[in-house]
Amino acid sequence: MNRVFILTPLMVLLIICVFSLAYLLSGKDPNKPPSALLNKDVPIFESSSLYNSKDIIKSKDIKNKKTLINFFASWCSPCKIEHPLFFEIRKKHPELYLLGFNHKDLTSDAKKYLEDDGNPYDFVGVDSDGLIALEFGVFGLPETYLINEDGKIIYKFMGPITMDVLKNEIEPLL
Amino acid sequence: MSSLVGFLSLVFAIGINFYLFLSRYIFKFQKQKFNFFIRFSSLLTLLSFFSLMYAYVVSDFSNYNVFQNSHSNKPLIYKISGTWGNHEGSMLLWLSILSIFSFFFSFTKNIDKSFQRLTLIIQSLLHILFGLFIVFTSNPFLVNSILVNEGLGLNPILQDPGLAVHPPILYGGYVGYSIVFSIAIAGLFQNTDDEWLYVAKKWSLISWTLLTGGIALGSYWAYYELGWGGWWFWDPVENISLMPWIAGLALVHSLMMVRGEQAIKKWIVFLSILCFSLSVFGTFLVRSGILTSVHSFAADASRGIFILLIFFIVTGFGFLVFLLKEPKKSNDLNLLFINKVSALVINNILMIIATLTILLGTIYPIIIEVMYNKRISVGGPYFNATVIPIMIPGFLLMSIAPILSWQTNKIQNSKKYVLGFIILSILVSIQSYFLDFNTWGFVGLLLGFWIILASIIAIFSSYKVKFTIRFIQIINPHIAHIGVGIAIVGITCSSVFQNELDFNLNEGDKFNVNGKIVLFEKIETTNQINFQSLRGKFLFDIEKNQSKEIQAGKNFYPVSKMITSEAGILHQWNKDIYLILGDQKNNEWFVKVLINPFVSFIWLGVIIMIYSGLIAVSRR
Repeated sequence: MNRVFILTPLMVLLIICVFSLAYLLSGKDPNKPPSALLNKDVPIFESSSLYNSKDIIKSKDIKNKKTLINFFASWCSPCKIEHPLFFEIRKKHPELYLLGFNHKDLTSDAKKYLEDDGNPYDFVGVDSDGLIALEFGVFGLPETYLINEDGKIIYKFMGPITMDVLKNEIEPLL
Repeated sequence: MSSLVGFLSLVFAIGINFYLFLSRYIFKFQKQKFNFFIRFSSLLTLLSFFSLMYAYVVSDFSNYNVFQNSHSNKPLIYKISGTWGNHEGSMLLWLSILSIFSFFFSFTKNIDKSFQRLTLIIQSLLHILFGLFIVFTSNPFLVNSILVNEGLGLNPILQDPGLAVHPPILYGGYVGYSIVFSIAIAGLFQNTDDEWLYVAKKWSLISWTLLTGGIALGSYWAYYELGWGGWWFWDPVENISLMPWIAGLALVHSLMMVRGEQAIKKWIVFLSILCFSLSVFGTFLVRSGILTSVHSFAADASRGIFILLIFFIVTGFGFLVFLLKEPKKSNDLNLLFINKVSALVINNILMIIATLTILLGTIYPIIIEVMYNKRISVGGPYFNATVIPIMIPGFLLMSIAPILSWQTNKIQNSKKYVLGFIILSILVSIQSYFLDFNTWGFVGLLLGFWIILASIIAIFSSYKVKFTIRFIQIINPHIAHIGVGIAIVGITCSSVFQNELDFNLNEGDKFNVNGKIVLFEKIETTNQINFQSLRGKFLFDIEKNQSKEIQAGKNFYPVSKMITSEAGILHQWNKDIYLILGDQKNNEWFVKVLINPFVSFIWLGVIIMIYSGLIAVSRR
């Protein structure tokens, strides 16, 4: 009886460690909660172009074409890291529509950023007050969404995309 | 340069501890030499820590850690606190505090030298484990590969004076349990006399007092910085600190009560191991990024696995030694229906059940996510419904525990207590009859006031009141319990009787809070050194000549593009008027007013507990 009592802490320790290890190895990241929007219709949005405020894009404009939506900002350093990869995507998949949303940024800063690092997007929409990001449930920049021809969100990635992510997760869906 | 000094001294300190650990079994140290090495390694670790701090103070952005977490136009205090405002630096702080405890322990007099050395060897082992963790996964001395002249800034929410001192004090508590752990393990190995119990008592009191202070500071910070109007949220990180706190409380009480009973001694060893295990487990949960909160900086799986390994080794080693080297059984417990020993046993059982309940609620989401790939969150409702009822009998017992006898079932002056309880019940009943009745409010108030009253009766009827240091020390347990009673009253009132009012206001509007007229004077924006501030100025109780100003607003930190809320709080002894400035819509500002009754009692209660902790430490 006494032994059982003394063994209990070791058993509890083992259980806790096994589950914690399983959690760590599963690659789950609590910073990246599963998106509730997956397989749902893309939220309704309306945004003007960074370069011409009269040029407006609406959610229904991206129907019938595969679209990659990327939220970025000039002040976001991880965005800078993933930026070159969009040119890669551009080159390999010219049919994919690249829509960038400039999140809570100054127009001048954003323009300079795209001038310095290049502009891979087909359209750069302004989301200066962050309301579009709110609709998409953006957690932190950068974030990338893939929308299919039916206007459904089929993929979401939080943080800078990498070559691995592009090859193993995004390209199979294209 | 300072980074190089820091890194080398860190590695050198680990090397010394390695050497100490290995050479113990190769050749015998002279007593002086051994302590010299321990102290030398402690000083080296501190040198390493202060090198990092120096890099922060002079904004040396060639250090990657400084570059990531600091900015040259931050005020000096946040440059200093920035040292531990990130994962790497805070782990170095952890190691430094471990060293400080070893350093001071090496000066302990009146203690068997071989026992002291064994304790310090175990400390050395811990030093090696955490030191390697820092060097291999969390090195704060990495060189920045790009040339920069500005840093990325410290998370604005951490730029707060309360939070600058919260981590060192909290770590003082967490890491302080390492020495208690080492003492207990050394005690098991040597298994000679009971001397180690008295040494352990002092150190566990120090740790518990620091932990109390650290938790209270964090809680107070959450109260005025997060702008939610509460001070405790059953957030996983709070739970993690609460577990070693409750276990530590059980430990302190057991150490006070022990009179050589083997069963209690065994229990003390168990609690000592448990306290430090819970501290390390907390570090693991927060640092691995399994939990998200303001405390979890960049998550990294390799760190998580490393620190899980440390947790496994430390806890596994501790309980294994406990299993193999359990103290010999001799004299039994003197358990009666109600005497000191039985009250202690009951209270300890309740505290452990409470700790386990919190542990379950904290790890349950992890287990569920691993098994079912579903994300759930266990929050306030679970903890309120489980932990509080478990603690209630304990609170009832603690009101009379200090005056219970060792040998008999008799309670001195029991009539006075019964009479006091009856009068108090009537008073609280009348109070709840006139105010809106609430079960928890009734129970909480009765409990809190009963603890206070019983402790006061005990002081005046059991001792002769004298104003000497000796007297202060004798009544100290009662004072500590009065602190708990006051805190319970504050907790009950502020949570059960909280009142919330919402307004949409223009500048110049007047509104009514609890019969007092408040004027929303104006909105002001100013530029501070590292942020822009927006403040709504409110004048409370303008019908009186001495109206009080309350400022509530937000700060915008341009470096990190973050907005923090700054609640405006008017502290009064019986209530806090808590103002939160919301967003502006249609030219109207949304203003939330919370009336939190008797919040000040919580902090008063905590201060009394800390005072008692200090008095108890000073007692021989």
